[in-house]
Parts: sequence; structure tokens; C-alpha cells
Amino acid sequence: MLRKALTATALMITVALPAHLTASELRVGFTLDALTLDPGNHRNRDTETIIRNIYDGLLTRDSKMKVVPELAESWTQVDPVTYDFRIRSGVIFHDGSLMTADDIVFTFERLTKDGALGGQTSPRKDLVGPVASITRVDDRTVRFTLKEPWPILPAMLPVQEVISKAFAEKVGSQGLATQANGTGPFKLVEWRKGDTVIMERHDAYYGGATDISPVGKACVDRVIFRAIPENASRVAALLAGEVDIINELPPYDMKKVEANGNTRVMKVNGTRTFFVALNNGKKPFDDPRVRKAANMAIDKALIIDRILLGTAAPLNGVMSPDAFGFNPDLPAYKFDVEAAKKLLAEAGYPNGVDVTLDAEGPFKDVVGAIAAMLTKAGIRAKVNVSEASTLQAKWAATGEKTGDMWFTSWGNGSLDPADIFVPTLRSGGRGNRAFYSNKEVDGLLDSANVELDQAKRADLYKKAQAIVNSEAPWIFMWLPQDLYGVSKRVSGWEPSADSRINSSRYLREVIGPAS
Amino acid sequence: MNPLALVGRIAQLLPVLLGVSVIVFVMMALTPGDPVEIMLSGQQVTPEQVQAMRHDMGLDRPPLERFAVFLGNALTGDFGLSFFHRRPVVDVIAERLPATIELTLAALLIAIAISIPLGVAAAVHKNRLLDRLAAVGSLFGISLPGFWFGIILIILFAVHMQVLPVSGRMDYACEVAPFTRLMTIDSLLRGRPDCLADALSHLILPALTLALPMAAVLTRVQRAAMLEVLRSDYIVFAQAKGISRRRVLWRHALKNALVPTVTVAAIETGSLLGGNMVVETVFGWPGLGRLVVESIFVRNYPLVQAAVLFYAVTYVFLNFFADLLYTMLNPRVRL
Repeated sequence: MLRKALTATALMITVALPAHLTASELRVGFTLDALTLDPGNHRNRDTETIIRNIYDGLLTRDSKMKVVPELAESWTQVDPVTYDFRIRSGVIFHDGSLMTADDIVFTFERLTKDGALGGQTSPRKDLVGPVASITRVDDRTVRFTLKEPWPILPAMLPVQEVISKAFAEKVGSQGLATQANGTGPFKLVEWRKGDTVIMERHDAYYGGATDISPVGKACVDRVIFRAIPENASRVAALLAGEVDIINELPPYDMKKVEANGNTRVMKVNGTRTFFVALNNGKKPFDDPRVRKAANMAIDKALIIDRILLGTAAPLNGVMSPDAFGFNPDLPAYKFDVEAAKKLLAEAGYPNGVDVTLDAEGPFKDVVGAIAAMLTKAGIRAKVNVSEASTLQAKWAATGEKTGDMWFTSWGNGSLDPADIFVPTLRSGGRGNRAFYSNKEVDGLLDSANVELDQAKRADLYKKAQAIVNSEAPWIFMWLPQDLYGVSKRVSGWEPSADSRINSSRYLREVIGPAS
Repeated sequence: MNPLALVGRIAQLLPVLLGVSVIVFVMMALTPGDPVEIMLSGQQVTPEQVQAMRHDMGLDRPPLERFAVFLGNALTGDFGLSFFHRRPVVDVIAERLPATIELTLAALLIAIAISIPLGVAAAVHKNRLLDRLAAVGSLFGISLPGFWFGIILIILFAVHMQVLPVSGRMDYACEVAPFTRLMTIDSLLRGRPDCLADALSHLILPALTLALPMAAVLTRVQRAAMLEVLRSDYIVFAQAKGISRRRVLWRHALKNALVPTVTVAAIETGSLLGGNMVVETVFGWPGLGRLVVESIFVRNYPLVQAAVLFYAVTYVFLNFFADLLYTMLNPRVRL
């Protein structure tokens, strides 16, 4: 009765709702709104996921994360520091103008030159690497010259989007923050800040990367990204049929989404490596035996199964199994409490050690389990939950290095070791939270950085991974999977490891009528 | 009203604003964490770029100098660029403010509509069933965590009955040219009843979630004030003169009994404007509260400083507004 009355009341309010679900459209419930629409003026992956539907890049990645040409037709590496990109012809911006080599040069100069953003420097500058110059060779060719070899340039280009020179000069950097004129499959209709980004199909689209089928215009008329930051509300919006795809589905809601007849869960390996950084510069973790004992004390499989509900892949090293140069032969530290205690005693700690385990609030559960397991093996860990920025300050490479252990992570969007191995484990790396330093590893990483032969480069990283595995500067943890909730209305869409939601791809003729 | 009172109030504002600026600045400066580190964490970056960004954000200057620059610019209405949006702070705040105002006004209206009649009724029927129910209801309303209540409303009305939307401010199919930027008012002004209904359907759940705790407080205040007034001599006198009970209640008693309610409502409105981040997050409401909380987490200093100053100004003016209302309710009160 009460329910009926409530329904009736609410119906009266909603009776005049607009009938908007006629055109084929894809509605994404997203954790965040875009910070800006300027592809050159942010360092935020969620922002990029949204604007990558409006702007295309020189290169992109296929669903297997292989780098393929997009606005470029092909590329060649002339010598260790020179790359030539052949540009597609006939690519049209949303305002109808033709994309030229000048637009490419302008885009990348804007990213790499100091003060090019109305006096400020692009926060994305270093994502383009040590660029010396970007020049137009001819109408269809742009040359990147680097100051030093940087083998991951092609792996990093998919995260840069090409803008129109004429448009940027007209509206300025302030204008680019809220207006868009890209070459991508969708053009901007309206941005309701903090709320919704509305896009519609770009009918003059050139078709996208030739290596990713199917090639052609987007199959949906419109794409809407709605910011729904709260997990429970985002899941509710999916279950209520208000959105078709949600990102960051919380693992504990997987059952609910699967139980609903109209929705399902989709998983993909992420690119973020989780680990416990051990302070290698300070007792007790300056002793490799203690670090190994810590690795043996953890029943990783149990944590993944019970707390993460099976949504992570265990790691024995730093790299994702999908990454370039992954070493599949690294031995796992077997869960063995007695062996861990023995190692600890050998290292001179027969009565165990007392340490602090730092972590951020969201990881409380996981860290509680880790601490309990460590304590059982004699590494009595006290959990200290704190905010990310506080912990970053405590563990800064330039800081006092007073911590013992930190449950943390490092993202590797490029899926190239140069983007994770070097910063987190090379001596003095800015993300070297464990303060690990090994001359041999440094040497291998440095050689790999300038090696042009990709097979040799992979071998160097594999060797370095083996050393790191045996010295255990971290407790190796896992690679979480990204979880998406997807309406059954959508078929053919696959989540991808770079967490993009490419609304053009994989959605050809697959959107059914809205429920 | 004495026009000098207004001038006096504005003069009072200056030390308040200065004090608030100092406190916010010191608190943000003392909080560990660095916006550049947060922005670049886990990604490719060289120390040179970190340095360049710190310079662009003005973080390479000593704190005292930063504060002086901030104050100097603030006097001219320039609050700098938001570190993360990379646009003027004033623009970013102005984009989000109307949503918060609309939600606050709606919540205030609902709260007043519930609390004043209920408070009066509870006072009149003191210790009887209605009064007891109102007391239990108020206790319930005060104790309800907004977060939990919001989620329950969503599950009930949006997921199970599917009669109200889960989140957002207005359907994307509705495009109403902005005028006041309050979606309900604009839809009305532009003659779009469909959009008005849509805006209301988005507004009702978050407004209700915000309004209930406020209504609970106001009901208690209204009841207490009413009881006190009803005991006073002039009410007894009015009744003795034979004026109808209804007239005594609504004309004679309520006017005086509203004074404390207005005070509390003004304070509550101030905290609603600044403190509804939880509700804004649950309902994906694109308001200021959510923006400020997100900004605190990423140490977006310029935005937080400007927003807190704005809150301080609002608070002072809301209290002034409450004082003005007193003089209307009770002419013996002078400003």
C-alpha cells in the first residue's frame, strides 16, 4: 500500500519526463567529470578517457594494447633519436577544416615548449619525452628529433591528442579548456560542468585506425558521460537502466550486477602494479632475508580470493603480464610461515621484528589481512592508515626515509618497463619508494633505454626482473582487474587495459533499443 | 532599518575575511602533501618539469610571500587559476554555485514547510500523541546519516520503482538557455514544463535528504519557542479578550515564536551551502560542496581558499538577513 502510494506520488512528478531514448546512444556512468577539455592541459586519466572520444591521436592502441597508427598512416625510426610519421590525408576536424602536418607540429610544440599554454607549460610535457624538435618535412611527414634515445616514444603517443592550430589560435588556451574541435569520432555538443559531457557522432569521421576493425563512423548517434562519483549511486544508475556502462564497479557489487537480468560484469587486467614497498635503506628490511621472509609470510591467493573477490592477478615482480618484456619465468615466493620465521632468525631476529605498515584508507581491509599474516610469521606489523598525500610526503625520495613498509602501487599506462621499472626501482628513481639500489639493475635498465633492437631490449628487462625478484625489494602483490558494469543492451564492447571507453569502437550496430 | 547597520555589517566582514584567509592559508600550508606530486604521481616526469610546474603554480615562493600575493590578488577579485582545472578559480566556482544554491533553497523550503506547522502543532498538543510523534520523528531526522538515507532513497525510488532518476541535475535531452542558472526557475521562465518536471524529479531526492535533518532541528526549535510564547501574558490576554484560538496562534503567537527559528534556519542554511558535499556526492549533484572536497584532497589551494572565503561571506550575510527578518517579526528589535 505504502509502496503504491509512493509510486503514485513519484509518478506525478515524473510524468512529464522527456522521451529522449529514441536515438541510439551510449550513456556512461563515470567516476569523474573531465577537469578540462584541453588535451594538452591536464594529467588526469579520467579526463583523457572522456576527451579521447572527441580527439584522436597520432597513434593509438588496439584491444591487445599493441600500438598502431591512427592519424598517422605509418611511422619509421630513422635512427636512435629520429622518428618520421607519415600523416593520413583527408582527415577533417569537427569544424570542417582539413587536418595538415602543421596541426601535428603545432600540437606537439604546444605540449613540449615552455610557456606554450598562455605562459604556462603543459603538464604533459614529459609524456612526450626528451624532444629536441618537431618539424614538418613535407605535407604528409612530421619528424620528431629527440635529445637522447627514448624507446617508448611510440608507446607514449597514444595518450596525446591532435588539436587544430587555427582553432587553438582563435580561442586560445582558455578557450580550449571548455570548447573542442577534434578529429575524433564524436563532437562536443555540451559540457555541463561537474555533471555531463554530451557528444554526438562526427559524420565526416575518417574511420579511425585501419588496424582496428571495424573501420568507419561511430555506430551510435550520441555518447553521454555522466559523472557519478559515489560507487553505490553509480551501480544504482546501471541497475535502474539510466546508464549503459559504469567504470570502477566495486567488487562487492559484482553479484548484484550479475543477478540483475539486464546487466553484467566485465573485467580486464589493469595496468597498475600493487606492492608493499619495504624500506631497503633501514633495519630490518635492509637485509634481503627479512624481505624474502616478508614475501613468504603472505598468502596472496587467499587475499585475492577472499578480499578482492578474485579480481586481481598475482605478480612475482614489477611488470604486468601484458607488458612489453614481461618475464614469465620468475619464481613465486611460496606461502610458508615456518620458512619465513627461519629466515628471520637467520637474519638475526629470532624474536621477530616490530614494524609499521602504511596504507591509504581504501585499502584498510587488504592491509589488515597483510598485517595479520606478517605478524604470524614474526614480522609484527602495526597498520597506519593515512591519506595519500601524507604518505607520499613521508615516503618521498627526498624525504627522511623513516617508514618501514608501505602498501602502494604504480600505474603503467604505456605497458612498457621504462614507465614503471625505471621510476620505481632504478637508484634514485622518483617513485623508488623502497629506496632500492642495485648497480647491476641500474646498468640493465640504462642499456635497455637506448637499445633499439626490441628483442634485445626485452631480454635486458627480463634479466633485471630476475634480479629484482631474487632480492625482493618489495612484497610483490598483484595487478588488479578493472571492473565494469555493462548493460546487456550493449554488446560488442570490450573494456581495455588502458581504461579507455572508446565509444566508437566495438559498438557497431550493437546498441539495441533502450530498456 | 538604519542604513548605517548595513555599512557596519560590511565593515565587520573585513576582519572576518582576513581572519578566515589566514586560518585557511595556514591550515592548507600545514597539511602535508603537494599538489604537483599528487598531479604527477605515478607517471613519467622529470625534476625539471616538477620545478616548472611548481613555478607556474607559484609554489616555489616562500609561504609568506604566497599569502601576500593571494591577499593582494583577492582584493582585486582575482583568485588565481585552479591547479587542476587550469582555469580561473572564480569561473570554476561560478559554474558550480547555482546547483548548490538551488539544492539549498529547495531543502530550506521543504524543511520550513515541514517544521513550522509541525512545531506549532506539537506545542499546541503538548505531550499528546502528535507531540510524541513529532519528537520521535525529529530524533529520527537528526540521527539519520545523510549518506545512508540518500542511498536508501535511490534504491527505493530509482532502482526498485524506477520513478525518479538516480543522479544528476537535469536530463541531457533538456536544453534550457541559462538565465538564473537555477534549472527549475529557468525551465519555468523559458516555458518548458517538461524540463521543469525533469529538474524537479532530479531535485526532490537530494533536497529531501538535506531537508529532513534540518526540518528535525527546526521543529524542535519551533516547538520550544511556541511553548514559551504561549505561556506569555499577552497571549493569555488575547485569549481573554475572546480572540479566536486560530487567530491567537497564527497571528499573535507564531510571529514572535518565529524569531529563534529564523536564527537557526539562517545558520543551517549557511552550513547547507557549505556542508552538503555528502549529499552532492551521493546524488552526483554538480555543486560546490563536492568540488571543494575534491579540491581539498588534491590540495587545490587557490580553489579551497576562494571557496572558504565565499562561505564566510555567505555566513555573515545570512546572519545579517536573519537580523533583518527579526526587525520585521518584532519591531522592538533594532539593528
